[in-house]
Amino acid sequence: MSFILQLLFTGIGIGAVYALVALGFVLIFRATNVVNFAQGEFSMVAAFLMVVCAVDLELPYWLSFLIALGGMAFVGAIFNLGVYYPLRHRTFLPVIISTIGASIFLANTTLAIYGPQPQVLPGWFETPGFQVGPVYLDSQYLLIIAVTVVLVGFQYWFFEHTLIGKKLQATSQDKEMASLLGIPVARMIMITFIYSALIGGIAGILVAPILFVSIQMGSSIALKAFAATIIGGFGDVAGAIIGGLALGIIETFGAAYISVPYKDGFAFFVLILFLIFRPQGIFGERVAEKA
Amino acid sequence: MSLLSIKDIVVRYGEIEAVHGVAFDVDEGQVVTLLGSNGAGKSTTLRAISGLIAPAAGDIVFEGKSIAGKGPEDIVRLGISHVPEGRRVFPGLSVRENIMLGASNRSGGAGILGREADEMFELFPDIRPFRDALGWTLSGGQQQMVAVARGLMAKPRLLLLDEPSLGLAPVIVQAVFRIISEIRRRGTTVLLVEQNARMGLSVADYGYVLESGRLALGGKPDELWGNEAIRAAYLGGGQAAARV
Amino acid sequence: MSVEAPARAARRPFHLLIAPAHIGYFVLSALVVLLISRATLDGYILNILMQAATYSVAVFGLSVVLGLCGQINLAQAAFFGIGAYAVGLGTVDYGLSYWICLGIGTIAALLAGAFLGMTTLRLGGHYLAMVTISFQQIVTLVMINAVGLTHGPDGVPSIGRPALFQTSQSYLAFAVAALAIIGYLVWHLQDTRLGRAMRAVRDNELAASVAGINVYRTKVAAFAISALLGGLGGGLFAGGFTYVSPDQFSFAESIVFLTMALLGGVASPIGSVIGTGLLILIPEWLRFLKSIPGLYLAIYGVAVILIILFMPDGIWGFIANFLRRFVKPVKVATVPPLVLAPDRTGTDMVLDVKGLSKHFGGLKAVDNVDFAVRRGGIHALIGPNGSGKTTTLNVISGLYRATAGRVVLGESDITDLSPHRRTWAGLGRTFQNIRLFRSMTALENVVIGAERRGNSLIPATGGYAALEERALAALEFVGLGPRANEPITRFSYGHQRLIEIARALAANPTLLLLDEPAAGLNSTEKRALHDLLERIAAQGLTILLIDHDMTLVSGAAQHITVLNFGKRIADGESLGVLRHPDVIAAYLGTET
Repeated sequence: MSFILQLLFTGIGIGAVYALVALGFVLIFRATNVVNFAQGEFSMVAAFLMVVCAVDLELPYWLSFLIALGGMAFVGAIFNLGVYYPLRHRTFLPVIISTIGASIFLANTTLAIYGPQPQVLPGWFETPGFQVGPVYLDSQYLLIIAVTVVLVGFQYWFFEHTLIGKKLQATSQDKEMASLLGIPVARMIMITFIYSALIGGIAGILVAPILFVSIQMGSSIALKAFAATIIGGFGDVAGAIIGGLALGIIETFGAAYISVPYKDGFAFFVLILFLIFRPQGIFGERVAEKA
Repeated sequence: MSLLSIKDIVVRYGEIEAVHGVAFDVDEGQVVTLLGSNGAGKSTTLRAISGLIAPAAGDIVFEGKSIAGKGPEDIVRLGISHVPEGRRVFPGLSVRENIMLGASNRSGGAGILGREADEMFELFPDIRPFRDALGWTLSGGQQQMVAVARGLMAKPRLLLLDEPSLGLAPVIVQAVFRIISEIRRRGTTVLLVEQNARMGLSVADYGYVLESGRLALGGKPDELWGNEAIRAAYLGGGQAAARV
Repeated sequence: MSVEAPARAARRPFHLLIAPAHIGYFVLSALVVLLISRATLDGYILNILMQAATYSVAVFGLSVVLGLCGQINLAQAAFFGIGAYAVGLGTVDYGLSYWICLGIGTIAALLAGAFLGMTTLRLGGHYLAMVTISFQQIVTLVMINAVGLTHGPDGVPSIGRPALFQTSQSYLAFAVAALAIIGYLVWHLQDTRLGRAMRAVRDNELAASVAGINVYRTKVAAFAISALLGGLGGGLFAGGFTYVSPDQFSFAESIVFLTMALLGGVASPIGSVIGTGLLILIPEWLRFLKSIPGLYLAIYGVAVILIILFMPDGIWGFIANFLRRFVKPVKVATVPPLVLAPDRTGTDMVLDVKGLSKHFGGLKAVDNVDFAVRRGGIHALIGPNGSGKTTTLNVISGLYRATAGRVVLGESDITDLSPHRRTWAGLGRTFQNIRLFRSMTALENVVIGAERRGNSLIPATGGYAALEERALAALEFVGLGPRANEPITRFSYGHQRLIEIARALAANPTLLLLDEPAAGLNSTEKRALHDLLERIAAQGLTILLIDHDMTLVSGAAQHITVLNFGKRIADGESLGVLRHPDVIAAYLGTET
């Protein structure tokens, strides 16, 4: 029983990271109708920025964190201007190929600068964790869960209770109408990309002490986050969170009871099952066919 | 001086010329109605005025300044608010939020705009009970009310209304037109595009008939209503309108 | 040689395999193969050529799925790996013959591709992109971790070759010969029924489905063929290098394949060869880039974005566009006039709509509508904007599913059929906003229509010539015969409408649905359209017409049905309906 609770805790922790990256996917998808295939690279780049600041330059952890976030805001802005904006009037295929190109570029530029050796990033806290009853609570996992709860709460407040959040929603629902009302559509899309890069970056920084910081971490997180969005229902914020958590739990239990080397394969297996039996996902098709 | 002058504009979608050299004026404080069958170029003319499509030739002058070629975000800041065909209410936002966003062309915090939106319900009492309902759950008539209220939140000098009666039952159409009269009484100039000729002319100071992208004729409502050309433009059976 | 010969030859039906005009290609290929087998090549050159030849086969796969059909595949290296491991493991661990292993690998890749395609291609393109990436990762995982089966990260050494081609040089000659043959087949895929369907799907899925093409099956076929070519290329590769390991088939290699296809030009196998050759040679020339891991792939990443931005057709696309300027359209042969022989089985009513409803959420766009279209003549469906006409047409042609009610065409109930099956059953239609296949010529567009399954006027043995003759006759009928070989983009808006009508006519439908054919036409064009409608009706084909131009409707239609607010408000003989007070009120508005 304690083993199961332990696995559940770990699964929720990992799932929270997938949920954060999935949120980034969903936000960009809703604003631009484009799936950003470089979303995982945002996490990877942020983790490397942390390694540079906190490990190589030995800056304080909080300062490194702020610098990494600043860097991610910049990456998000450049990404919008270089990868999405010039292609915004083309069909989806050129745009996703362009984001794939960007993903390759980010991963391999990092590789060229930093070499192939995985890096280690220490956790935020000195204390490794606590024993609570039968379960050992790792402090980094606790941090991940706490930050995810706070970020999801913040995002809810931002989108549902601020005027700019409403303008962002309006832009993603009908760009032409938004521009007729005087909402600066280009700026709204820019904000979306920066915000997505930031939450992708935070996810990467949080998960880095658990995994190694490697070039591959971006694509493997992104694949699972994407699977999470499909499982939850494409484009649905609540679905992305539930899907991410579910996937984290499935994967942790799969690794414990079935096979460790194929841990990364479970997400794909679940994804295929959903595609065959419930392609609209758990929360799919809540909005009417035509408004 | 007229508030808005359309000077021989030509508008193209790719290879198709939808409007060929249309010219007319809208005077301050009036309701001007553009009539014509589907495809006559009415909506395209409105889209050119609000900046959704740039005219290929000609000029659009608003309060003495040329606005042709400016983007929609700039034009709504100058005081032209466009309520497009099909209402385009944001489906995932509530009625009140939809109306608040109508003020995106001017500054104001959420608190002030929220109060202004609440005042707007006095002009549109029918949608007050739905203030927290999501856009997509509304009926066509309710959506039209929201769309007009949202357009008025911009505090425009000129309101462009594209087919407000489209697909609405007669009772609702009358309610919409009562609101248009009220808007005019409060001093906002209105350029109205309508298929429903009788209702469109009932609130107008002046009307124009568009046919195949050209102005076929213009005049005061009672002059136009007696004209055989109107009938021909809608129900066919004559080339009368092609003269002018 | 006569003026028309080249065009005919280029469009030879597939079953003839080799057209006389193409003997040159095979002679040249044979010479190259001979040269390779005889020349003295050092090992370095040989390796480069071997890689280029085998990679090119996999890149052909991308030119089919991405170029012809417009679908993405980011797992080509995985399919390549499946073929390579089949040859590697089969010859080494199981002692099977090279040829059997090559067959197994190719078929395994085909099956994997078909399965992935079938699960994913009903959904949007984003799903396909992600699912192929996931598949790629899984294949890599298995290659590395299933040590018992795959030898794990160490890979498979000393892979066998066919007895006939034991030396590297003779094997290279074999690989190049295979490349030449596969390239020829891929080049000619676009001239087959399947290839035309793929191009149609890429250009416009909706138009393809109402032209009678099973869009889903076509996409799955394209994806499966792409996987097959990946597997085949991989099998050739394994024999060439006699060693395979997991890192040769990673996601990065899938990106390399994609970059090769995009750079060369995704629309043609020539582009594939150009792109593959360049991206194998350039890194060899710029070897210093390889000294820093990641650098050359980073450059590939930027290259992908730049190509998409500035050269969407790739190098060969650029060259082909340039060459096209010097090619004059081929003169068109004269053909006998178009015959329309609409199917006459069933009652007097060719179309019977009963209790039809279509609701979107709470909105009743079409609400319990009944009407019937009498065989022969022109029937108009009119109503003010937003009255539900186009929705009705879309429900009849299957683009929307009916909420309630039945639609019967002739004797068959088509209510629950998919759009392409309705077309097979005899429905033809055009669109309010023209939907043509924009990368094709007028003739190619109309051929797609003529190819409708169930078109009794195309003899089963006629091959492409019969289709082309019918398509030409249809274009002649709408007055555009002499311009048949011009690309769509050169036609005016009004002429494009006529081509769309010709495409529907070529299919010899039982009922023709025209959605606002007069929209956007000037008055001369409208009169010509009116005349065309009369000529179609004179041949016995029934037309159901939606239009706002009342001059056209009242002049052409014998029978009119009027909708308002999704309900039928009048139905009957034209003049009577137009004088009906409810109809006048619906159009001009009422004050009460």
